Amino acid sequence: MNIAGESLGTFLARQTVQAATPLIMAGLGELLAEVTGVINIGIEGLMLMGCIAGYAAAGISGSGGVGLGAAIFAGMGTAAIFAGVTVWAAADQIVAGAAVNILAVGASGLAWFFYQNAREAVHRSVSLGRHVGFQSVAIPGLSRIPFFGPMLFDQYMLFYAAIILAVLIWLLLHHTRTGAILRALGDAPEACQAAGVSVRTWRTGAVLFAGACAGAAGAYLSIMRTHAFASDMTGGQGFVVLSLVIFGRWTIPGLIAGCLLFGGINSLQQILQTTRYTSHSTLMHALQHIPFEFFQMLPYVVALLALATLSRSSPGPRYLGQAWRQ
Amino acid sequence: MLSIENISKAFGGVQALNNVSLAVAPGSVQGILGENGAGKTTLMNILFGLIRPDRGQIRLNGQSVVVRSPRVAQQLGIGMVHQHFKLAPALSVTDNLALAVGRNFVLLHRASFRDRIAALARSLHWAVDPDSVVGQLNVGQQQRVEIIKALLGGGKILILDEPTAVLTPQEVDELIPAVRSLARAGITVIFISHKLSEVNRMCDRIAVLRRGELVFAGPMGELSAEEITHRMLGAPSALSSLGASSASPGLVRLHLSRVCCPLPGTRKYKPLLDNIELSVRAGEIVGIAGVEGNGQTTLIDAILGSLPISSGVITLDGSDLSHLVNFRRARKFACIPEDRQGQGLVLSLSLTANLMLRSYRNPEFMRLGLRHVTAWRSRAAMLVRSFDIRCASVEVPIQFLSGGNQQKALIARELYGNPPVILAINPTRGLDIGATAFVLQQLTAARQRGAAVLLIHSDLDELLAISDRVMVMYAGRLLPTNWPAVDRAAIGRMMMGITPQAA
Repeated sequence: MNIAGESLGTFLARQTVQAATPLIMAGLGELLAEVTGVINIGIEGLMLMGCIAGYAAAGISGSGGVGLGAAIFAGMGTAAIFAGVTVWAAADQIVAGAAVNILAVGASGLAWFFYQNAREAVHRSVSLGRHVGFQSVAIPGLSRIPFFGPMLFDQYMLFYAAIILAVLIWLLLHHTRTGAILRALGDAPEACQAAGVSVRTWRTGAVLFAGACAGAAGAYLSIMRTHAFASDMTGGQGFVVLSLVIFGRWTIPGLIAGCLLFGGINSLQQILQTTRYTSHSTLMHALQHIPFEFFQMLPYVVALLALATLSRSSPGPRYLGQAWRQ
Repeated sequence: MLSIENISKAFGGVQALNNVSLAVAPGSVQGILGENGAGKTTLMNILFGLIRPDRGQIRLNGQSVVVRSPRVAQQLGIGMVHQHFKLAPALSVTDNLALAVGRNFVLLHRASFRDRIAALARSLHWAVDPDSVVGQLNVGQQQRVEIIKALLGGGKILILDEPTAVLTPQEVDELIPAVRSLARAGITVIFISHKLSEVNRMCDRIAVLRRGELVFAGPMGELSAEEITHRMLGAPSALSSLGASSASPGLVRLHLSRVCCPLPGTRKYKPLLDNIELSVRAGEIVGIAGVEGNGQTTLIDAILGSLPISSGVITLDGSDLSHLVNFRRARKFACIPEDRQGQGLVLSLSLTANLMLRSYRNPEFMRLGLRHVTAWRSRAAMLVRSFDIRCASVEVPIQFLSGGNQQKALIARELYGNPPVILAINPTRGLDIGATAFVLQQLTAARQRGAAVLLIHSDLDELLAISDRVMVMYAGRLLPTNWPAVDRAAIGRMMMGITPQAA
């Protein structure tokens, strides 16, 4: 069976990586923050802020790059509020993260309203111009490799950035003094303090970095993979990121494997949703009777099952979720 | 040359240090002696920049320095090994050491860094594996990592805050030559302790602190052991005055007959308690000696009812306890638990609340179903006075009291009002000489008043000093001894599982 001129396998592989990219990007930041002991369940909200900021800035400026920059900035700015409340004022991280999610729903909705009004006032289209959003970038040569070419070398710019970032963070965590500090922040903050490292400053840095990553992941949703904004477009992906960090046991390879697994199941369910009406096989025919919401639910069910069965033995950073009072 | 000049520091009304001056020569080992709360740790925290003094100054090689933070201390070459280690257990030795020295955001040259660690360890005759995970090392090895950490950054002055408190005797024997070789290499070591014998073996000079004041400073050997103890305590040691009771014991209060307790979760028959026969009579202290982990904790849990027994009978004053609900049963005993911070006290509550935990339901402490504030306050004030609990206020959370004062508060609560049966597990652990003597005195005084006391204690000397009868716990079994007809060494052998026929 072929879809859009590709074999089903190749199409699925490409879609899997496309679906996994924002998860990897946001997951890398969240992993770093959690390693230092800060859990931000507001990652969903940060991504949503990235979506609207990226879309609106790209729409107004006419430049995708400006949009991406604005998304990163919006993610960091919102994360700065979170850092101030949890790291500096020692408020409960879960409560503050929930507040960030609610804040982001309101703020992004308000921004979307103002953006639409502003565009109409100058008689311009609300949707992005033809060449404003990002297109996928095929790497010459490598993208021609069968199967792996389309999967790994014909992706959006953010995927390449995420992979480079993953390698850099892995090196940082395991082969530098900085990495030792970052890991010790979540394991024994008193050891960092004794070494003359400011626990709060470093944790703030990690939270801001996570915010930047989540913002970029949000921009991916609104100006790269699609060129549109909807108020619920993150659709729980921020929460999936949280579970994938646990699923990967706070390791970068584990995180990426989890993102690909989730992205794969998500792409598979989308393919099932569409092909069940076009295929002539009896199985596909039978599937037509199942409501599409069931397919949408599947990746989350798999994520839950994976969490329940695989993460039992992973304790995570000792000080995860605990404020540091000097 | 490090000199401390006229340092004073007060915490909320308590003068922790009062005008302390001390000069330490380079390459010497300076012992600092004193009871808990004498101000030793406060003085060291000031040196290391964790606390700022109210008055006074620190000079290093003649220059006045302000140690604003631990980082400044490290830059000045002052390193400190805290009583509670500042290590990240999930990280390897190398990573923990990298944390303390080096630059950020550059790749670590692991091979050369490992060589540095290995060279330093070799010079101290230690074997330290740079790749092992710190959490999997034992306490002695972790301490070595801490010492190496303090020296790796080029430290010239090393502060060891009660380093032997956490070590086994063998580890202490290994630490002493290492400290001596550091001193030979020109490093100044400041060694804090309240154990005279260790200071004797390790130090060149000693300083004695009592209640925040320097009462002696001079070369080791200038004062005799008795004189040093005298200066530390201000009064002769009370341990020797504690003797076995002359009063004859009365009726049996607590009785355990053929008590067994299986190992939970296993089918294999390897009991935690194996046919325990024990009786404690009014007016006697029954001491249970033994190496920790031979069932002592289980025994207490079985008596208090927090662990079900598989067979046997536990009676109190002749009546079976098995039908009583746990909390009603526990209320019948005064208990000084092993883990005072976890089981004995509620750290976040005030001293007053902790003192009232046992008696708050009495009508005299309630008014209209609420707490009777003035009655609480007067009872707390009375206990603080009669048990000499030192605190800035009875309203401070008990976690801010020193360990000795926490234990005094626990004992005040449990022993006030002449409880008939007292269970005590390691009641003097971590306490200094003065507080230890106080605790033991309270137990003997309770016996004199007719209480039945069951004392489980890992310090054999203290146990033998106050017990009327001594039993040994080994591998879940309780063995009687003919103490005081047998000697200390025989009991020691029984603790190791060598059962003599005659004992």
